[in-house]
Amino acid sequence: MGQPAEKLSVSVPGEVARALRRRVGARGLSGFVARAIRHELEREQLGAFLAEMEQDLGPVSKSALSKARRAWPKR
Amino acid sequence: MAEALILDSEAVNALAHAGQRGVLAERARAILTVAHQNAALVRIPSVVLAEMCRGARYDSAINHLLVSRGIGVSDITRSIAQQAGHLLARAKLTSEHAIDAFVVATALQFASVVIATGDPRDIRRLAAPFRAVHVFAL
Repeated sequence: MGQPAEKLSVSVPGEVARALRRRVGARGLSGFVARAIRHELEREQLGAFLAEMEQDLGPVSKSALSKARRAWPKR
Repeated sequence: MAEALILDSEAVNALAHAGQRGVLAERARAILTVAHQNAALVRIPSVVLAEMCRGARYDSAINHLLVSRGIGVSDITRSIAQQAGHLLARAKLTSEHAIDAFVVATALQFASVVIATGDPRDIRRLAAPFRAVHVFAL
C-alpha cells in the first residue's frame, strides 16, 4: 500500500513548467515530480555514501575506475 | 526510463562489508562511483536479499546499506517474474538460475543498465539478447 501523499507548493521557471507539461501532461505531473525528487535525493545520499567509504578506506584506484568507466554504456 | 546500476549478491556483499572485501569492494566502489557520475539509479532486486539475509547477525550490514545510502530495492512484480521465466526458457537454464533471471528481468525495466555481479557467466547468458544490458564482473 502506498504512503499517503502530501501536497507541496513549489515555484519553477516558466520554461521548466512548460517543458514539464509538454512531457507529462497535467495528470502525470505529480508522479513525474515525485520520481525526480526521489532520484535527486538518492543521488545526494549515494554521493555521501561514496565519500564516507573514501574517508574510511581511501580512494578507489585509477585502474579500477578506468575499468568501471569502460564498462559503462556510452550515451 | 532512466539509466541504472543493478547489484547482485556479490556486489551487495562487497559494499556491505567493504572493509573486509579487498579488491571486490574496490571494484564495487568503482562501478558505484561511475553510476553516481552518470546520475544512474542504483537498485537491488528484492530476491537478491533472499540470498543474503540469514538472520540478525548477517542482516545488520545489509540493512545499514539500505538506509539513506541512495541504493533502492526493486520489488519483483508479476511482469518481471514472468519475464524472468521467459529468460530462463530462452537461455535453456533451469530454475536453479531463477535469481539470476530475476536480476536480468529487473535490469530490463531500465533503458540502459549495468549489472554488477560476482558471477558474470550466467548473467551474460541470460542478458545476451539485450543490447541495453551490460555486465560488469567484479
